[in-house]
Amino acid sequence: MIGWLRHQKHALTAALHRLRAQPVATLLTALAMGVAISLPSGLYLGLGHLGRLAGELPAQPEISVYLDAGVSAVQKQAIAARLKQPDIALARYVPKDEALATLSASQDLADITAGLTQNPLPDAWVVRPQASSREALARVADDLGKLPGVAETHLDSQWADRLQAALGFGRTGVWLLAGLFAIALVAISGNAIRAQVLVRRDEIHVSRLIGATDRYIRRPFLYLGALQGLLGGLAAGGVLAVAGAILRTPVERLAGLYGSAFHLLPPTGIEIAAVLGLTTLFGWLGAWLSVTRALQQVEAAR
Amino acid sequence: MISFNQVTKRYPGGHEALSGINLTIDAGELVFLIGHSGAGKSTLLKLIAAIERPTSGVVSVSGQNVSRLSHRAIPYLRRNIGLVFQDHKLLFDRNVIENVVLPLDIAGLDRREALKRARAVIDKVGLLKREKANPISLSGGEQQRLCIARALVSRPALLLADEPTGNLDAGYAADIMAMFRDFHQVGTTLVIATHDDRAITALGGRTLRLDHGKIQEVAA
Repeated sequence: MIGWLRHQKHALTAALHRLRAQPVATLLTALAMGVAISLPSGLYLGLGHLGRLAGELPAQPEISVYLDAGVSAVQKQAIAARLKQPDIALARYVPKDEALATLSASQDLADITAGLTQNPLPDAWVVRPQASSREALARVADDLGKLPGVAETHLDSQWADRLQAALGFGRTGVWLLAGLFAIALVAISGNAIRAQVLVRRDEIHVSRLIGATDRYIRRPFLYLGALQGLLGGLAAGGVLAVAGAILRTPVERLAGLYGSAFHLLPPTGIEIAAVLGLTTLFGWLGAWLSVTRALQQVEAAR
Repeated sequence: MISFNQVTKRYPGGHEALSGINLTIDAGELVFLIGHSGAGKSTLLKLIAAIERPTSGVVSVSGQNVSRLSHRAIPYLRRNIGLVFQDHKLLFDRNVIENVVLPLDIAGLDRREALKRARAVIDKVGLLKREKANPISLSGGEQQRLCIARALVSRPALLLADEPTGNLDAGYAADIMAMFRDFHQVGTTLVIATHDDRAITALGGRTLRLDHGKIQEVAA
């Protein structure tokens, strides 16, 4: 166990030493990784902002609840009580007279309503549920439709559906991109490590002759790959921070023109940790693939 | 300690380096392998250290069948064998002491203890003043002594040397051989491949002649 720890420490020191010995190559690799990672991460952040922006927009999905013509006062009270429950964000009562007045006020329909002898419209509630997902909306609408005294419910879910579909498409795109760039990351790391292995051919050969296991030989390269990946993740953070700083003023100006206090938010700690962890992992993976292959080649060449 | 039983080594291409070798070397022996170049001396040493595998026959070292050792077990065999190469195989990206400390790092020894032992061995081969030097700045004889120091630092019971004085002039060669005599006297088993007759007469020991893949004892 102590020997194992000693080996880890030794390998880590060796890896750090190698990174320091080649600052330019290290920096270039980190930058290449950083740019590659910043694309999906940036898109992810942008999508998060879009989702947040959508949440702030007034056009929330609404459910119209039309009441029976012969609804009793007790039933009306029961419905009002139901609409005070926590899954309802907002509920507005629209008496039929008000509805007719609104209808008459709109120019196109004024002629039609003027010809009516009595009000054909029912009393109604306009309800905005707390949840915005399609399933949740449908469930609330269904629920309300079953209340006694309710004639029918109409779910205006088209807008929500479209938004959900667009965000879902965006999310799938982000994952697809992230997958592609993860492969790129493995390739960049593998390539950098392959160069290192070639430079260290003699060392590998000699170490083997004096009793080094493959694991011993592989270890510093794995640390190297992981550290390189971590640096790549940090570089991506740098790229995004710069992009954020550049975009902040124009975004706030644009939002200001729409009367919104919308502004860019930095990623959360968990998001940062996830990106750094993943880049480290993929850097390690690239190194593993590369060094394992190289060791087999050295073996075969002997 | 080492035994060869009907060992044949044929390289791809058909060249037969060793044919049907039978040989036993006891612990603590000093053995010289002589013969013209290409007679199979290097091959014999490589078979002992599992750098090559025999085409047929059994090579065993300390009771272990080396010819059938798994890939994973080979490093642990080699840690008990000191190897001295004609071309030294030093690493020029690190200084003298780091070269010597490498086998101990590989074995996972405590760093401070490793440096202490490395320094002791470097002192023994007379390079203590050069411990911070890069091996490339050392003379041929000093490089060979460094290679020996690296082979000995893990205190192996067996030392294999392939033409250790091949590139050296007479003075350096005598130096190196005197060092080998000292190790022999403290009980290390030594197998030295050489074509340097002066060394053999100076040290005594057992001499084996390899000729076209066959082995024979040379009477002292």
